[in-house]
Amino acid sequence: MLNADVEVDRRDFTVRATLSVADGERVALFGPSGAGKTTILEAVAGLVGLRRGVVELGGRVLTAAGTGAGAGPVAVPPWRRRVGLLRQDPGLFPHLSVQANLTYAKSAAPDAAELAAIAAQLGIEGLLPAMPARLSGGQQHRVALGRLLLAHCDALLLDEPFASLDAALRRTLTALVKDLAAQRTVPTLLVTHQLSDAQAFADRLAVMDQGEVLQVGAPDQVVLAPAFRRVAELVGYLGFVPAAQPGLVAGVHPDRVAAGADPARGLVVTGTVIGARPSGAGWEADLRAGDAAFTCRLPGPPASDQVTVTVLDPPYFGPDGKRIESDVSIP
Amino acid sequence: MITLLIHLSPGDIASALTGAGDLDPLVTSLESGGLTLLVLVLVGTPLAWMLARGRLPLPRVWEAGLLCTLLLPPLVIGLLLVFMVGPYTPIGEFLGWLHQDATNTFLALVIAQVYEAAPYYVLGAQAAFAGVDTRLEEQAGLLGDRPFRVFWRVTLPLAAPGLSMALATAWARAMGAFGAVVIIAYHPFGLPLQIFTTLQETGLATALPYALVLLVVALPLPLAAYAWSARAERRRRG
Repeated sequence: MLNADVEVDRRDFTVRATLSVADGERVALFGPSGAGKTTILEAVAGLVGLRRGVVELGGRVLTAAGTGAGAGPVAVPPWRRRVGLLRQDPGLFPHLSVQANLTYAKSAAPDAAELAAIAAQLGIEGLLPAMPARLSGGQQHRVALGRLLLAHCDALLLDEPFASLDAALRRTLTALVKDLAAQRTVPTLLVTHQLSDAQAFADRLAVMDQGEVLQVGAPDQVVLAPAFRRVAELVGYLGFVPAAQPGLVAGVHPDRVAAGADPARGLVVTGTVIGARPSGAGWEADLRAGDAAFTCRLPGPPASDQVTVTVLDPPYFGPDGKRIESDVSIP
Repeated sequence: MITLLIHLSPGDIASALTGAGDLDPLVTSLESGGLTLLVLVLVGTPLAWMLARGRLPLPRVWEAGLLCTLLLPPLVIGLLLVFMVGPYTPIGEFLGWLHQDATNTFLALVIAQVYEAAPYYVLGAQAAFAGVDTRLEEQAGLLGDRPFRVFWRVTLPLAAPGLSMALATAWARAMGAFGAVVIIAYHPFGLPLQIFTTLQETGLATALPYALVLLVVALPLPLAAYAWSARAERRRRG
């Protein structure tokens, strides 16, 4: 179990987060660049100091600072934390072969069978004598992942590890890491600014902005019921239209819009088409309804300048940006 | 080298170098050069690492100090060394208490060579360390290595090609050191001073063989460093 209740001072703001990740659980920290996600990983890894907070892993206190309780500050150095960190740059040691990289950790058992098994699982068994410079980006990430697995870390921290890879390879490696993390039953924390990566990987999603965790929950719950308008913006709501009640707005997610009027399923909005373009297997259209503008996906190009759509079961937000929990009647 | 060979016959070389004690300057240069390298490695390497990692207070002051020894004519360095370690200075008196003397001794020769060669090694080594990605060191730490082990297993091997080049340059500078040496360490003669005095006393024909000896003994180390550095880079590229 990983428990982190941390406050870290940065130049621009203070990062605050309280997270618990159970053994075998995968949590994704999702948010825009500069939100403070990596700072939290580095705090867990012991690479940055805390202004205040506690980091515990498997019952061991790794960091305790400014809490005013207990036996005073604790700062277990990174080399004794048994925490594995995989970044976007796989960080292979360029002067060592793949095999030497894999078995680099002191905690890596000199067990040829385990090395062979993990290499086979990662599909790198033929690369063991090669030098890292000879590997493709995907292969380097596999080796870096294998190195963490052989190190028998008590927690896995993944900092946008596959962000530089193409979408197909990213999906493959994300699935691989997901399986391996589940097998190892260690707490795993993924940092990403790609919602699709977070959804594909995580049991729970923590949405961060400006150093604060805004919402934590199951990925579909966070996407379908964002707690704040800001969360909605971050998880892909591309417009907010006025609801019947004054002061309330409904969030419009482009994927949760149906062409035509169906008041039983959601909020019906008629808007003027101000732009349209092919998108994936369908079309994406920008609509304006009164002062509000929003984007939605349609099965085909808009038939006219005026389009009526149904925003399916949208979340409603009050003037303070919080989601309105109670039912809002559909106008 | 080619010019030297054109102007030297085997007979000139043999007659200049086969007398008793003719090769003493060579031995002096090799010994003092070797000791200079040892001092530079032991003192200059940690200094360069601390400069590269920002672990020293006022780093610009340290860098300016190194650059001063590079910018000043070696002759001036020799004069300043007299003021620093001469017999009537606190350091000189301390050395005297230890029955040592830092003028016109082997120790003085090493001190002069160290001062002339240090900036070449330290600035080169600083660049080599700065070129090592600190995230690799961080990763090694997270994999369980203590800082010294990280230095030994990651930092040093990755900086080694640059360090060897810096050391080769420093060696070349130490072997050819003349300006500071002629002021503070006129005796014992190393090869550069032997060339100078022989030229003054008996002329070019007898001085040039020593220049050839200097080249022949000083070149292999830098050449080996170049070759090793290139081999390390090739190995890294797989």
